[in-house]
Amino acid sequence: MFEIKSLKSKVVLQIILLILTIPYVIPLVQMFLGSIGGTGFLNYKAVWDTGVVPIYFKNSFIISASVILLVYIFSMTAGFAFAKLHIFGKEMFFWVFLVALTLPEVILLSPLFVTFQKMQLFNTFLAVILPIAALQLPFTILLARTFDNGIPNELMEAAKIDGASVFRTFWDIILPLTKPIASSIVVLTLIGSWNEYLLPLVFLQSPNMKTVTLLPQYFQGEFSNDQTKILAAAVLTAIPVIVVYLFLQKNFEKGMSAGALK
Amino acid sequence: MKKGRIIVGALVALMVMVGTVLASSSETSGTVVWWGWTPGSPMNEQYIAQFNKVYPNIKVIWKQIAIADYDAAIRPALASGQGVDAFQVSAGSGNGGIHVYAGQAIDLTNAVKKALGDNYKDKLGKAAITTMTVNGQLKALGVGSVYAGNLWINQDLFNKYNVKVPTNLNEWITACKVFKEHGIIGFVQGAGQGPFDMDTFHAIADNVSPGTFTKATRGEVKWTNDSIVKALELWKGLFSNGIMQSGALGLQQYPEANNLFMSQKAAMVMMGSWYTSNCLPDTMKAAIGSASSTKQPFTMVPIDFPDIAGTGKTGSMFGDLDYATAVSASSKNIMAATTFAVWLGTSQQGQQMIANSLNVIPSLKSATQDWSKIKLVNPKKQNDAIKNYTKKAMNSGDNPRFADINADMNQAMIDVLAGVAAGTITPKDGAAQLEAAQGSRK
Amino acid sequence: MKNKTKNKTSRFTKINGLLWILPAFVFVVGIIYYSIFYTFNLSTLNWNGLDPIPIKVGISNYTKALFSDWIFWKAIKNTIVYFLITFLIQNFLGFIFAAILHTKVKLATLHKVLIFIPTILAPATMAPVFRLLFSPQGMLQNIFNTLHLGITVDWLANPNSALFILMIVAIWEFTGMSFILYYAAMSQIDKEMLEAAHLDGAGNFRTLLSIVLPNCKGTTVSLAMLGIIGALKTFDIPYLITTGGPYHATEFLGTYIYTQGIKQAHLGYAAAISVMLLILAICGAILINRVNKGDAK
Repeated sequence: MFEIKSLKSKVVLQIILLILTIPYVIPLVQMFLGSIGGTGFLNYKAVWDTGVVPIYFKNSFIISASVILLVYIFSMTAGFAFAKLHIFGKEMFFWVFLVALTLPEVILLSPLFVTFQKMQLFNTFLAVILPIAALQLPFTILLARTFDNGIPNELMEAAKIDGASVFRTFWDIILPLTKPIASSIVVLTLIGSWNEYLLPLVFLQSPNMKTVTLLPQYFQGEFSNDQTKILAAAVLTAIPVIVVYLFLQKNFEKGMSAGALK
Repeated sequence: MKKGRIIVGALVALMVMVGTVLASSSETSGTVVWWGWTPGSPMNEQYIAQFNKVYPNIKVIWKQIAIADYDAAIRPALASGQGVDAFQVSAGSGNGGIHVYAGQAIDLTNAVKKALGDNYKDKLGKAAITTMTVNGQLKALGVGSVYAGNLWINQDLFNKYNVKVPTNLNEWITACKVFKEHGIIGFVQGAGQGPFDMDTFHAIADNVSPGTFTKATRGEVKWTNDSIVKALELWKGLFSNGIMQSGALGLQQYPEANNLFMSQKAAMVMMGSWYTSNCLPDTMKAAIGSASSTKQPFTMVPIDFPDIAGTGKTGSMFGDLDYATAVSASSKNIMAATTFAVWLGTSQQGQQMIANSLNVIPSLKSATQDWSKIKLVNPKKQNDAIKNYTKKAMNSGDNPRFADINADMNQAMIDVLAGVAAGTITPKDGAAQLEAAQGSRK
Repeated sequence: MKNKTKNKTSRFTKINGLLWILPAFVFVVGIIYYSIFYTFNLSTLNWNGLDPIPIKVGISNYTKALFSDWIFWKAIKNTIVYFLITFLIQNFLGFIFAAILHTKVKLATLHKVLIFIPTILAPATMAPVFRLLFSPQGMLQNIFNTLHLGITVDWLANPNSALFILMIVAIWEFTGMSFILYYAAMSQIDKEMLEAAHLDGAGNFRTLLSIVLPNCKGTTVSLAMLGIIGALKTFDIPYLITTGGPYHATEFLGTYIYTQGIKQAHLGYAAAISVMLLILAICGAILINRVNKGDAK
């Protein structure tokens, strides 16, 4: 976009970029160095030897996948309706969602605890999936609506003339077109659900239902705190999200540019 | 997108999840989910393995929660009546305080009588009974106690740099100075972690005037009395006279202070009887590894808190039950859970195992460390020191560590100690704040 | 945020879309609004969460926070300082990164990924890393020692610097988000407008300031809204790195709610602070929206 012509300014710019990026890498380096402190890579073995790593990863996977699914379906339908359909009191409804964006999750703990208990949902994955999804939805609906606004109505009109129902239009035209924003929603929701700490801590009681973010708990006692293994656990926990992001990175970026908040 | 739709279908199936399956239980069979924060895997699993030698049909599942998160997790679990059968509680208020959870725990008096006879009170340490009795009911069985009030020093470093072990303020300052010249932190404290500040402050207060701290926690003397103000002044002094390492307030006792001591970068640390287990070579090796160090185990010994007030009254120790096992009143495995709690807290075998771990001092009087079986890092220098230390801790009398401090008082004291140390409030105002917090106690 | 559809003539706009937003609506109202009302009710009680009968105390939890709790006000002050500084620096950096990465620099993707990775990682995962980094055993201290700078890394201990350390962590964590949104906004700027500026002889800096920045205004406003809400919600970073200390120097409403509600079991008091937090967040969002609209006229 910006044209930098002289070689000198190109080099200068490259160096500035490098210098600015370094601080973002330092903590990552510290994380890795810390994780191999003391007994080196044996720390990773110790984390693995807790025997719970596969279980926790599986649990986190189930929770994240379910949250992504819920959020994807609900924000796609709602985003489409907000952008393209007639809703009485549309902006009011939209504000109802936006206000929900301001809620910190600490507030959810007490009320949900009482409710889940009554509904026999306590100590089930749903007790974690439902609130995480509800917390993610306001933002993803906002993204989806903005993205869908950019889809020309003519495309949908063509489908209408063909006699396609609203649902078919949504399924055949909107969904394929919204791939980029879907990637953004998947990445953002994955970040939110995979990294969730408080809700699994409080709502999942059985030892075999914990999630990866609770892995470090194994290495924190009253009179001990094994930092090296905590960091090894942190590295293991971070890898899946980073890998998914790397895979979706191109589409994520596209989605953000088209659905960027304006 | 088509592929996506197939995945969608598969995921829907995954979403239906069920809770725990509860099995039927009796005194000798059942499943017990045991919640706690200490001493931590794999120790707890070893305890369970010992337990299973006697009760092979009771399956105990250890659920470990970091101490800082314990209240957040156990409160809803107990209120829901699900997934908790036995749970650890502590004396006082720090985390898992018995007074908070007594309402959710069953009375264990009869179970103890059955195990130890009607004279059970004679067989158990006094603190194990008194601190766990709420409204006349014995709500939990003490597993072991911890005591504090002393410093631990790295004897090897003291020898290497030919430093005199400090017994008063000036010697302490000098020792820290000498170590600093050699690039070593003299004394390390994770003053950012409140409960350990309370230990140091308690030690200072007992040095100024023995027993006043305990009386103040019981409302028998005012927090604003001179000896408490004096103790706060001395506490503040530690942060300006070179004893506290710079940045102390930003560190936690665990992991930072502990790691600095274990990696031999610091020569002295304020830790209590729980630290004794680090005299065992294997425990210490693990602790050194956790501190990112590859050095060999070293000789650490306990010393009296230096006489910084100049009163000559040193050697005070204070302590109470570190943890006890309570049985959830809403558990569906009450009988099996009770069997486990009773075994851990009162059986010779269970308490002997606790004794030998050197982590806590057992509740059952007849269970004492078997010194012939315990091999320390440096037996010549450590054996007698540790034996005397343990004896002294057990004879420390009526001087609880946290048992008389409720949650609000706990927070107030942590605040005041940090505020005084940082220079944000004066010792006098700090004392007044403590008194205000004491006054609002219910 | 402009949400109005430009081409209103579509027949689709006549189809009732209520059914389409209903699932999401029920979901959000059922969980989030239910929690808000529950919290509101809880805020009038004195309750530890376990006692069978809570005590009704009216609005005294609110008056206590507003008139006699300096920690509450300290948390508000910290939130404001934290918001202003992190907002400025992180968006400045995000903007600069976006502009630089829109030129033809080498290894652009690598840099993008490196800047965004912090956003992906959980604060819970990173907290021990930062504790280590800013401790005497960390990498920074080692680097300072090697260079013989004589600097001691003890910033978390000082009530004055601890908050700034947390801001650095927050900036580290969220620059990725600012960057990606600015990057997106910049790719939508009319190419002809930029070319015209170039033809007029405007340098890159001039173009950046007089054309690119104004065109990213919408993004800046959105980021300000997200920033205010985020600052009010701040919990993980201070709780896990400093636990709000030393001496409440890094207390935030989120951490205070947690210690009051969970640690000390003053559920009613924590709820009252939560309600006030919510009101502040909504006011903040409305305010920024207004300022934005006022500017546009």
